[in-house]
Amino acid sequence: MQVSIKWLKDYIDFDWSAEELADQFTMAGIPVENVICADEGLDQVVTGRIEEITAHPDSDHLQICQMNVGEKERIQIITGARNVREGQVVPVAMVGAHLPSGLHIKKGKLRGLASNGMLCSASELHLDLTKLTEEEKDGIYILPADTPVGIPASDVLGLGDVVLEFEITANRADCFSVFGLVREIAVLTGNKPKWPMIGCKEDAGRKAADMMSVGIAANDLCSRFSVRIACDVKIGSSPDWMQQRLEGAGIRAINNVVDITNFVMIELGQPMHAYDYEKIAGHSLTARLAKEGENLHTLDGSEHLAKGTELVIADAKHPAGLAGVMGGLETEVTERTTTVVFEAACFNGASIRRTSRVCGLHSEASGRFERGVDVTQTKRALDRACQLLQEMGACTVAEGYVDVYPEPKDPVTIDFTAEEINRRLGTQIEGSEMADTLTRLGFAVEKRLNGTCRATVPSWRSDCTCMEDLSEEVARIHGFDKIASTTPFGRMVQGKQGAKQNLVTRIKHTLAALGMTEELSFAFTSKALFDKLLVPQDSPFRKAIPILNPLTDEAPLVRTCLLTSIMENAVRNFSRKNHDICLFDIAPVFLPEALPVTELPDERLMLAGLWTGRRNEIAWNHDNGMVDFYDMKGIVEELFRAIGIQKYTVEAGEHFALHPGKTAFFKKGREVLATVGELHPKAAENFGIKQRVYLFEMCIDVLMKYTGRRFQFDSLPKYPAITRDLALLVDVDIAASDIERVIAKNGGKYFKEATLFDVYMGKQVADGKKSMAFSLKFQSKDRTLTDEEADTAFQNILNAVRKYFQAELRA
Amino acid sequence: MEEKIEQLKAQAVEAIQKAAGSLSELDDIRVKFLGKKGEFTSILRGMGTLAKEDRPKVGKIVNEAKAQIEALIQQKNEELKARDLEKILSTERIDVTLPGRTVPLGHLHPLTLTLERIKDIFFRMSFSVEEGPEIEKDYYNFEALNLPKDHPARDMQDSFYITEDILMRSQTSPVQARTMEKNEPNAPIRMIAPGRVYRRDEYDATHSPMFTQVEGLVIDEGISFADLKGTLELFLHQIFNADVGVRFRPSFFPFTEPSAEVDISCVMCQGKGCRVCKGTGWLEILGSGMVHPHVLEMSGYDPQKVSGFAFGMGVERIAMLAYGIDDLRLFYDNDMRFLQQF
Repeated sequence: MQVSIKWLKDYIDFDWSAEELADQFTMAGIPVENVICADEGLDQVVTGRIEEITAHPDSDHLQICQMNVGEKERIQIITGARNVREGQVVPVAMVGAHLPSGLHIKKGKLRGLASNGMLCSASELHLDLTKLTEEEKDGIYILPADTPVGIPASDVLGLGDVVLEFEITANRADCFSVFGLVREIAVLTGNKPKWPMIGCKEDAGRKAADMMSVGIAANDLCSRFSVRIACDVKIGSSPDWMQQRLEGAGIRAINNVVDITNFVMIELGQPMHAYDYEKIAGHSLTARLAKEGENLHTLDGSEHLAKGTELVIADAKHPAGLAGVMGGLETEVTERTTTVVFEAACFNGASIRRTSRVCGLHSEASGRFERGVDVTQTKRALDRACQLLQEMGACTVAEGYVDVYPEPKDPVTIDFTAEEINRRLGTQIEGSEMADTLTRLGFAVEKRLNGTCRATVPSWRSDCTCMEDLSEEVARIHGFDKIASTTPFGRMVQGKQGAKQNLVTRIKHTLAALGMTEELSFAFTSKALFDKLLVPQDSPFRKAIPILNPLTDEAPLVRTCLLTSIMENAVRNFSRKNHDICLFDIAPVFLPEALPVTELPDERLMLAGLWTGRRNEIAWNHDNGMVDFYDMKGIVEELFRAIGIQKYTVEAGEHFALHPGKTAFFKKGREVLATVGELHPKAAENFGIKQRVYLFEMCIDVLMKYTGRRFQFDSLPKYPAITRDLALLVDVDIAASDIERVIAKNGGKYFKEATLFDVYMGKQVADGKKSMAFSLKFQSKDRTLTDEEADTAFQNILNAVRKYFQAELRA
Repeated sequence: MEEKIEQLKAQAVEAIQKAAGSLSELDDIRVKFLGKKGEFTSILRGMGTLAKEDRPKVGKIVNEAKAQIEALIQQKNEELKARDLEKILSTERIDVTLPGRTVPLGHLHPLTLTLERIKDIFFRMSFSVEEGPEIEKDYYNFEALNLPKDHPARDMQDSFYITEDILMRSQTSPVQARTMEKNEPNAPIRMIAPGRVYRRDEYDATHSPMFTQVEGLVIDEGISFADLKGTLELFLHQIFNADVGVRFRPSFFPFTEPSAEVDISCVMCQGKGCRVCKGTGWLEILGSGMVHPHVLEMSGYDPQKVSGFAFGMGVERIAMLAYGIDDLRLFYDNDMRFLQQF
């Protein structure tokens, strides 16, 4: 909704500047998005007559103009325009002007001759080019020859008006009209509106009811349908004042009849339509549902095949328009029209919204119907339309209306007390102030015997239905800023988050401390990503939920796997030449029970990590090696330590996206807590990655089961430990964890721990063998152990590893 | 005898004085004169050959000489140690300007950092965190919030639909309805619900198909619009700064009545008017209002007995203002060079 200040001032006085008015509206809940001053930057542009033109001696395209700008002295301006002639009046930007284009006019010289200003073209003045002829757009904008010189050009160009652009909230349908806005100004200023007298002279000779019939065949979609008939119509253009007001409202003038329908819509908020009476088959109009397959020709020249859910206005034969959205081509008012049927109706907002969406047509009218129009004012709108046309001397008006209004609406009443409104607002506003505010807003307020008040809601405020709505009216006119702030009074309770959220916080902070960086990714994915990540065709991960209306075809699914997201982010980083990437992501994946979904899917909170590139930033004093599997595994181990997950096992595992030889499962019993591994080389190739990438993935809900146990410390040992080194030679494929398990089992009661401190494969050992060196620690809580006790335990361990792994003791 | 002792002492003193080389040289001198097999020891050992009456006297002289030598050695020892230390200190020089060997920290996402600040502030005001599903029923996302089907505020264009009745939640507000429903009717509530929400917006500098919201809800007996103002002012003064201007503007949300947009004075230009605030001096930061009686009723609360207020804010918006970020896409592009700045 946009409207010019001039139009508002037609009906009410106020002293505010446009900016002040905008601010007042905004603070009263009717937000003004923009204040558009058409003459911005034109304050130093005046009209001037070209008194003399001479050719520039040093140029074949420049001309020297001697300008009369209403001052004693002529001023010299050099122009390159070809369309200037002596005697023309043109807009002149004087020295010091700052044009809307940003151009600053200064004294200057062109090819050696002084030029003190600029002659302006339409585009330099920011005129609306769509309304100009090619001739007017081209070159200097030529004003009528009788234009006085030396006056502000904006006065001549009709640019003196200021337009307010509103962003009206869905509840304030009434403010989609000049009258509605004027009512608000009246409440805000206390000034009385100067409403126009609405009414027309009827021609007793012709009765509208005799000329045509009107019907409603869909009561739930159309609550009222009213028409009036204008006869002896002379189609022509509407007067300048009307065109200017429409222009301010962003509407192009067409002809007097169409302009009037638009004018009344903006003024009263009642959308209207005009039909050529002669073209209405059977002289009857009915609001009915379209028949499936019916062809609808709308005024914009497009055609729609009806689905059968659209409300149409049909004559005896065809639909004559999409009700409330756009009129039909067949009954359009043209230059030859002599009898006009004005329609003012009230359609169901939801239905109009559906129809306009289905047909892809949105109009000023449909926007108003969607929000709701005042059903009581159809006749008033018809009167206004006929009055305006009559005042232009362009018609006579047939007597009466044809009005179908099957279920007249009773006014809504709301009972309230000042006390309950004050309680809701936390205020002590007097009851009399409330009554006064509501009365000024058009409510009728009466005191009742039981001490309550009853407010009768004006017909245009269908958004008000309960006391709470009244409280808003009272508060916004009182001023939100005048309500003193308090804080809620209540029992003291603990502000907290749940155990799972605490765990997530803990994990995030731990991973950040371990050098990982958190990413946030979109929840969308695609089949292409599944393919790249080698997700098997029969995998449940492929059962991702499709979005009915995805933003792009590239991401039509909701993710089932967090690895696809983290891979996408890694790839984006590679493309930006970031090769050292260490990311983690905590986000839900969405696993449906079945497709298509009927129930909400299982939302599983996952943690994924990705590390690739150098282990450390390049530095003079760091190892500059690349990350490997054990770096990534170390992160998981440290994370588990931080969140209190203990006594898990690690074994070789399998995952479709990971290298079969470099994948590990962290497990508790049979349950996998975490999967760690290297990205499958095939997947790396699919993603176009040329370096090794390590990933981990775990489910927060699974971690939840094993974390959170109360931590208790171990008392410090009083007696020293004895250590023995055990260097073994074993087959390469023997897992370290197996050896550790055997050591722990056979170490006796004083065995504390075994630390693997060296693993070696290479020249020094035979092919197919590896050397593993453990530091074994023995300790008693009660006394200092003897060497013999340690030796015995060591020997037992050695015997066991020899037996189980054919290990040899390495010298 | 005494003469011999004097001589020995003089030899020792000379040796000590000459022993400038090292601590080990000094040690050799100690062994030579004072050791078990040293010169003075052998004199003491040979005392048996002396006349009985001379023995104490000689013994005393020897012991005095020994003590003197001991002291000299000690003194020399200190000198040499000091000299060695001096030498170490004067030769061990490094370039302290070379970069240190760091263990680099990772980085939490700026939205996580912002959300943690928001949560902390509300925890201190005894709010708890509630959560709800991101794929949500139309009922909770819209209907339970007084947004019936065909309401203009819920255009198909705005939400990602899964089926007619299931969608990716377009706001965190459904958590309001879910929390009320889960509670005993009319039980007091002070909650925030942070989370991801989805809207069908093109991805550009100010829009994203997924973003982060924090919803808030307070319900109790006698909660008023003045309480809403006070609570949100307290919050905004903490998340921005104590002198930020806050204004409440009447607005419309289907689930609140009265409704208020909350603006803060522009943090970029301190309210003077700039590009960020489009010259108005104000920035829209929160939507809020008194919970609509229909919303309470639909979730089993009695609007005659309790009242409440609700609010919602975009975490991206707050983070952008806090960190001076001018393009929302930076949050979701996850460029390491961006993330590592936080």
